[in-house]
Amino acid sequence: MPPDPRPDPLQECAAAVDPASIVDGSRRIFLRAAGLLCAEMMLPWARACEPLSTGAGSGHKVVLVIIGGVRRAETFSREGLENIPHLAHDLLPQALFYDHARNEGVTAHFNAISSILTGNWQRVDDWGRLAPTTPTLFEQFRKGLRVDRSDTWIVASNKALTSLIGASSASGYGQEFGANVVFPKQLMLMAVADALHGGRTANMADRDKIEAELESAMEGNNYEGLGWNVFDAADRLDPRVRDSIRDAVARFVHSGGPTSGDELTFFMVREIMRCFTPQLLVVVFSDVEAAHFGSYAMHLSGIRTADRLTFQIWNEIQANPDYKDKTTMVTLPEFGRDPDGSSTNGFFNHRANDDSTRDTWMMVLGSAVDRPNVIEKPIRHVDLCPTLAGLLGCRRLESQGTLLGDFRM
Amino acid sequence: MAVSDTLPVSLKTVVENGVLNRLPLTFLPFANQQLRDWQFLFPNERRATEQLLLYVNSLSPDESSALFAEVTALEEKMNVGSWKFSTSEQTIENASLLARSPWFQEWRRAVQAVFDATERHATTTEGVPTPANRLVLIEIPRPLDLAAVSVWQRWGQLGRPLNLEIPPNLSGGVLQNLVVGDPRLSNGLLGKVTQRARNQYAEAWVIDAGHALVDSALALPPAGPGAAQPVLLSYSRLDPCRQNFSREMNTMRKDLSDADAVYDRLRKVNLVSWCPPEVAADPAAREFVRNLYLSGNGAVIFSNSFVQWAASEAFRRARPRFLAARFGVRSKPKPFTAVAVFENPDQVNPLPAVDDLPGSAIDAQILAPYIWLAAMRYEEYAHATVCVCVAESLSQACVVAPPEFAVAHGQSTLSIDALGHELDEWIS
Repeated sequence: MPPDPRPDPLQECAAAVDPASIVDGSRRIFLRAAGLLCAEMMLPWARACEPLSTGAGSGHKVVLVIIGGVRRAETFSREGLENIPHLAHDLLPQALFYDHARNEGVTAHFNAISSILTGNWQRVDDWGRLAPTTPTLFEQFRKGLRVDRSDTWIVASNKALTSLIGASSASGYGQEFGANVVFPKQLMLMAVADALHGGRTANMADRDKIEAELESAMEGNNYEGLGWNVFDAADRLDPRVRDSIRDAVARFVHSGGPTSGDELTFFMVREIMRCFTPQLLVVVFSDVEAAHFGSYAMHLSGIRTADRLTFQIWNEIQANPDYKDKTTMVTLPEFGRDPDGSSTNGFFNHRANDDSTRDTWMMVLGSAVDRPNVIEKPIRHVDLCPTLAGLLGCRRLESQGTLLGDFRM
Repeated sequence: MAVSDTLPVSLKTVVENGVLNRLPLTFLPFANQQLRDWQFLFPNERRATEQLLLYVNSLSPDESSALFAEVTALEEKMNVGSWKFSTSEQTIENASLLARSPWFQEWRRAVQAVFDATERHATTTEGVPTPANRLVLIEIPRPLDLAAVSVWQRWGQLGRPLNLEIPPNLSGGVLQNLVVGDPRLSNGLLGKVTQRARNQYAEAWVIDAGHALVDSALALPPAGPGAAQPVLLSYSRLDPCRQNFSREMNTMRKDLSDADAVYDRLRKVNLVSWCPPEVAADPAAREFVRNLYLSGNGAVIFSNSFVQWAASEAFRRARPRFLAARFGVRSKPKPFTAVAVFENPDQVNPLPAVDDLPGSAIDAQILAPYIWLAAMRYEEYAHATVCVCVAESLSQACVVAPPEFAVAHGQSTLSIDALGHELDEWIS
């Protein structure tokens, strides 16, 4: 490990990262997934012969699950597998698994997610004050195939996102063709803040009262605060949306299970799937971002939560006749996290120009999978959008990404 | 441009001569901020700023253009001139603009190259400084239970495990005994470091997730004439400061949409009345705490993050000769309200706080080697530094040391007194 002999005062600038970060190679050993796959390799390929249903576009549904920053070391590595039992043992054996899915753009949340959603490396404002500059998958799908807004949703826990994630600023596209955007965690934050400022903090220890606080936050008219775009011009929720969110909140509050932001996101995703059966649904989990506060235990807990909830979404797909056998589910992290010993404080952040931060993985399940396989050749995050656009039957737009030939179109 | 009244004459002169005009645009936020905040800088930071500006001033215009040629060329490619880029101080907007530029990594390397050249020049003119022995002590205290099989895993091949003989009636813990000893006798390591006449400001740091270690350090007699007091930071003793700061942060977040406006206001909040006396009386330490809170990394939320990040920043900014850091226990996240991490959980949710001992142990187990890795980024710690991390519940320590430190290759079991003696020898 070479020491850095230089005074580095510019490091105070949050983004001034040291490219010569320390890398712990011993924890980079990725599992040879063949061992895990071998049992499922022998599955019959019956699914390949089943026709896809038709509707607007190809009739194919896409569920894209994006997890915040997680390193290979804590996920698909020998030591990390214990944190992802469902991804590694329940889902990997039936998956098309890309061992190396690289984020070669800006490794900040808004840019990373908008790069995945547009197929072009976005370099817009990190705080979501600017929309992506090229059309999102939502817009390509909705404009190209005249798909209704209620067929495209993004449900996200990440606080760095804004409703601008649902549509681009590209000429001829934009909000008119954007997705419904919902941030369930914002609802919780607003409920906590409202209770605090209203002197009702005692309510936060009582499940029934928490439900009332959450509903009150939803019914309030602080549309800006929530950052959602499912309100009409009068800042009123569509009644169907309101009912499904209310159901999700009730199930979440009274489930007796964990109560993190990602849990609420999951409950909302499930209600949206059941109520609106969107053809294109993007879910963003971000409990893992507790890492920013330096709690490794909470970061690991976030990984386990994302693992479990991703599996539960897959189970919902299997159990829901509107999705079963006509859905492709793709799961990938936004990026990794910085290596131990980096000048950017290791797992806390995701700014280093290092494989630990850029080299992640991607798992594909469902209709687009011909047969389970592990692809060692690196792909890039921008390759996903044109591929999913193809699955959905969209016309090809100009993109920095290339079609992933391993997907069954 | 505002510069501090306390600038040394040599620096004041070169600033008046216009040395800043020779700097590229992206160097200005750093340079201006350092000059304005001179009174809050540690000696090491002052030295680095002085080295850079005096070096640039010593060059001919052509030479200084050549020094910055790569940075300037990259600034042109990045079109920095068209950015809303603050030249007076480092801002979140600046950082964001730089980081999302496709030329960011090249710019970063070019900046490093300038500092490399400055360092080489300083070595040529001032000679290589005599390496001083340094000491880093870390403790993961009881009641944090650690597993013997995995406790040193993250230290890899860096260190050597050691069994400690800990007297059953030892009060205050291993680190407190090593650092403070008997306060009346000043026979702990901290007393010996600070009592030396040549001890300089910010050479000794004690960072505590709780308050017992700092409390006991405060009981030491004052440092000798000409010697400086240690920097003492206790997460618990800073509770009022942290809570007030956090409240300000939340209030501003609701009023100000722009992150830099929040940041700017928090830079100006007066911390003096919120800080314990040992911090309130020390302007550089007080501003260090503010910057620690502002730079994230959980320092305002979790005690163990505070300890790790404070230690890392101390190494980066002050290069201390002696640093002792003690981890502690954080609470479990409270149901439903854990998402509101910026709020005070006890204020938001009336449910009683519950200690998260296993979670705190997992956190401390990775944050402890992070402290050592942070030190290792700097040349000063590369060769003559001993690091001892104590796992109190296991009566073990991991020792990272150069071969000349006897414990690095001696007995595998050592009493606290014997260890203290060896460390004393090393640092003396």
